[in-house]
Amino acid sequence: MEWDFRNIDDEGELNLKKFFWKCTACGTCRSGYTYGPPPTFRVICPQGNKFGYQGYYGSKGKAALARWMTGCSYLKDEKFEYTPEFLHTLYSCTECGGCQNQCMIDFKPHIIDTIEAMRAKAVQDGKGPLKEHHVLVMSMKNNDNPYTGPRAIRAKWMKKIDNDSKLKDINKESAPVLYYAGCTPAYNAPVRDLALSTVRVFDKIGLNYGALGKNEVCCGSTVLRIGERDQFERVASKNLEQFKMLHDERGVDTIVTSCAGCYRAFVEDYPHSDAYKECMDGIKVMHTSELLYEKFKNGEWEPTKEVKMKVTYHDPCHLGRHLKDWIIDWDGSKQWKGSYLDCIDRGVFEAPRELIKAIPGIEFEEMKRSRNNSFCCGSGGGIKTAFPDWAAENASLRVEEAIDTGAEMIISCCPFCHANLNDGAKVIKSECKTMDLIELLDQAL
Amino acid sequence: MVGNTNILGELKGIVGDEHATSDKHIMYAYSYDMCFVPNKLPQYVAQPANVEEIVEIMKLCNKTKTPVIPVGANTNIGGLCIPKKDNTLLIDLRRLNKIIRIDEETRYAIIEPGVSHAQFAEELYKRGLRFGWPVGPPSGTVTGCAISHGISGMSGRYGLNSQMITSMEVVRPTGDVCRVGSCAIKEDSWHSFLPLPRMDGIFTGWFGTTGIVTKLAVYTPAVPPYVDVVTCSTEEIRDMYKYMLEFGRYEMADDLTAVNWWLSQVPIPYPYKEKPADQHKWNSYAVLYGYTEKELEAKVDAFHTVIKHQQELGSTVQVTEYPEEAKRGRTELPSQIVGSTKNYCKEAGGGISWPGTFTPANKWEEVYNKWEKIYKARNLSPATRITMYRGIHYGMLRAMTPINKQSPEETENAKMAIVEALGAILDAGGIPYKPPVDFNVEINKRADKGYLKLMCDIKDMIDPNGIMNPGQLLIR
Ligand SMILES: Cc1cc2nc3c(=O)[nH]c(=O)nc-3n(C[C@H](O)[C@H](O)[C@H](O)COP(=O)(O)OP(=O)(O)OC[C@H]3O[C@@H](n4cnc5c(N)ncnc54)[C@H](O)[C@@H]3O)c2cc1C
Ligand code: SF4
Ligand code: SF4
Repeated sequence: MEWDFRNIDDEGELNLKKFFWKCTACGTCRSGYTYGPPPTFRVICPQGNKFGYQGYYGSKGKAALARWMTGCSYLKDEKFEYTPEFLHTLYSCTECGGCQNQCMIDFKPHIIDTIEAMRAKAVQDGKGPLKEHHVLVMSMKNNDNPYTGPRAIRAKWMKKIDNDSKLKDINKESAPVLYYAGCTPAYNAPVRDLALSTVRVFDKIGLNYGALGKNEVCCGSTVLRIGERDQFERVASKNLEQFKMLHDERGVDTIVTSCAGCYRAFVEDYPHSDAYKECMDGIKVMHTSELLYEKFKNGEWEPTKEVKMKVTYHDPCHLGRHLKDWIIDWDGSKQWKGSYLDCIDRGVFEAPRELIKAIPGIEFEEMKRSRNNSFCCGSGGGIKTAFPDWAAENASLRVEEAIDTGAEMIISCCPFCHANLNDGAKVIKSECKTMDLIELLDQAL
Repeated sequence: MVGNTNILGELKGIVGDEHATSDKHIMYAYSYDMCFVPNKLPQYVAQPANVEEIVEIMKLCNKTKTPVIPVGANTNIGGLCIPKKDNTLLIDLRRLNKIIRIDEETRYAIIEPGVSHAQFAEELYKRGLRFGWPVGPPSGTVTGCAISHGISGMSGRYGLNSQMITSMEVVRPTGDVCRVGSCAIKEDSWHSFLPLPRMDGIFTGWFGTTGIVTKLAVYTPAVPPYVDVVTCSTEEIRDMYKYMLEFGRYEMADDLTAVNWWLSQVPIPYPYKEKPADQHKWNSYAVLYGYTEKELEAKVDAFHTVIKHQQELGSTVQVTEYPEEAKRGRTELPSQIVGSTKNYCKEAGGGISWPGTFTPANKWEEVYNKWEKIYKARNLSPATRITMYRGIHYGMLRAMTPINKQSPEETENAKMAIVEALGAILDAGGIPYKPPVDFNVEINKRADKGYLKLMCDIKDMIDPNGIMNPGQLLIR
């Protein structure tokens, strides 16, 4: 299987270089701003907010790093060198895409690719990722998961599933829906119950579904985000082959996941494989919230039990603003080659909100920063592994924003956000907790 | 890491380890803006948290003769924050970002220098107040713009943003702190410079070469409930000028601007493209506000009266339709879209620059015709804007020039067009605003000797060691 990720120093007419040189240094990406009325201004870049210097701030900073890394034509005497400080700047971006949402020029669609391509180059040159990431990479190599847990315990969580559950072992039985649980339930203790809640909810709504158990392999998102493409490609190839087999032999036509990271990997990163079309032909990928919302809209189920709680919703970056179809004029027939024309938003914004609001007794209040201008919890892009204290500190800013709404509970749809926001609450000794949407729905059914 | 470790150590001692650096990749990120001025790395960047730290830094820089440049968001288009000398320290003011007070009743606000237009816009709007928003990035600071004679969507009626400043606090290059305006006499009273001697002139238009503004008070007028944008077109700049002169006489428009076909394209054609014969050459918009419906109606009537009168005189002027979205862009500034330069330099990539000038209005035609030839000869679009400022008799004449930053050759071509255009405008009595060093060479060549001597004397008095952005003004 071949993968076509872009490299930071690729030659050719419409390479990344062409686009990061399009950055005008206007600095619009420094903050989240809508001109209303009323106009709103929000801190949007966790990295810039924490570390402050240009270079750290937004995609303007990332364009600067890319130019510096690949040799600036204006500074012939200066030579790029990997320094610990450079790697710190490169690896302390959460890849949240908050900056990307502000930029309006041709660089916009290529911002996240540029960050990841720089990291991949650092890995290729033997300088990246950070030493704090090594354990994660080793674990992926040895155990097919980023959490240092042995392969053997991957399916251990399933032992706690109720005996009368309808969950099938898809290795042996057919089902149209594959529940891809991801690594979280087995290895990430603070959010372990997510998978059990998912199973309970799926059972309650009568879904015909199965799971892979110990044969499941990590989606690879965490290693891709830090530039370890080889490791990603290894596990992602296994997954694609497995998905095709499940479609052909077990009748799977839908893969559903509760993890925003897995979801983003399947829909945004896996298409970089030349085998993607063939392997995924006839298979739809859905986040749990999308699947449940679709069935809710069709009248197949509804939340019945009252849950008296005031809540707010945190948009995970990987389930929200990362999901875009970029409309780019590649051949120049509309404007000029490579011009950014528009984007189609595929972000899963409404489904979780609608489901929350459908629960009797729930009071819902939106945070100031939401949807495409949501504020990242600070966990993504390898941050939780390399900078755990800062990740929690950043999450505490988000918890404070949630507290401002009067909410007693933050609802999210990503186990990484979930765990990190709870760590953030501890930093500020707040009672405000985070739970997954599926856990909330479990209570309402 | 680059630079003198002692100075870096002392800076860290003042602002804390995390807030001073010499790391090369960070220096690189501060080494350019969007204009043609070549990159130059600073040696240090420090981010002080308060006035006391700025005072300590200035004392250190005086002792060590370290060049200093204050930086807001570095969105100016003139290389103003790019070092000219080796060993330069940039003082990034982003941590001083508090809106200290908004006096709703008497309508002025006191802010710190790191406050951006976006941040200020949100807070003012909540209180029914407004300010002169530039057509620039929302992240640009209010202070960086105002003290550099920034231009806004209110300049037609209220003048430049510097004319909206009412008081300020400044750390002088020597580390002394001073107040200028009414706050100098009573600590909590920041309403006006007058009737005191206008010492604010020592700190406005000097581009951070005479001190660091640490607090700024500005006038914040109320948001009028009624607004309209009236538009018209002409085929020649002369007809446009005549219309603007007559309508400007009423001093009714907050913004009275015209742009030629090349500037109204999104983006500016790069390289040069012929204007299609069926499209108007000049398009104008005037933003009219009213505190009552009648006031607005009277202004719109005046506009139509002027158009009719101009047509009777044989002008090609015609009233045109203005799309709703474009209207929004004119009235609801600052805007993410215009600020991110989508309209200007998407096609070329990476940069823009301009001969941006304040020019007597009766010279617009003469200069513009020369510009058209200069730009066409270099295969560039003469994307020009004319805007009347308060006073009607003068205004902005500017040719927005896209630059392909990835190509040093194309950048040089754009720079040469700008420099040639600048010669034409200086000869006609125009003066470039927020000028890069290359422009200052031309300005100073033509300047009155007594004027230059006065500037030198003031600079020597206030900055005896010449540490503040040396090489920027070229007077020392
Ligand atoms: C696309 C685009 C459009 C623009 N349109 C406009 C426009 O319509 N009108 C307009 O006026 N500007 C415009 N600008 C220029 C600029 O964005 C604004 O003037 C902006 O507000 C400047 O603020 P800044 O914080 O970026 O200043 P900087 O670039 O950081 O600084 C500008 C100058 O002020 C000095 N300075 C900054 N802060 C201080 C301080 N506290 N004390 C002393 N000196 C200081 C700096 O040394 C420098 O000389 C535009 C820019 C772009 C990119
Ligand atoms: S991706 Fe997020 S953290 Fe990274 S620069 Fe952009 S806004 Fe900042
Ligand atoms: S990345 Fe986009 S918004 Fe940010 S400075 Fe560059 S052009 Fe402006």
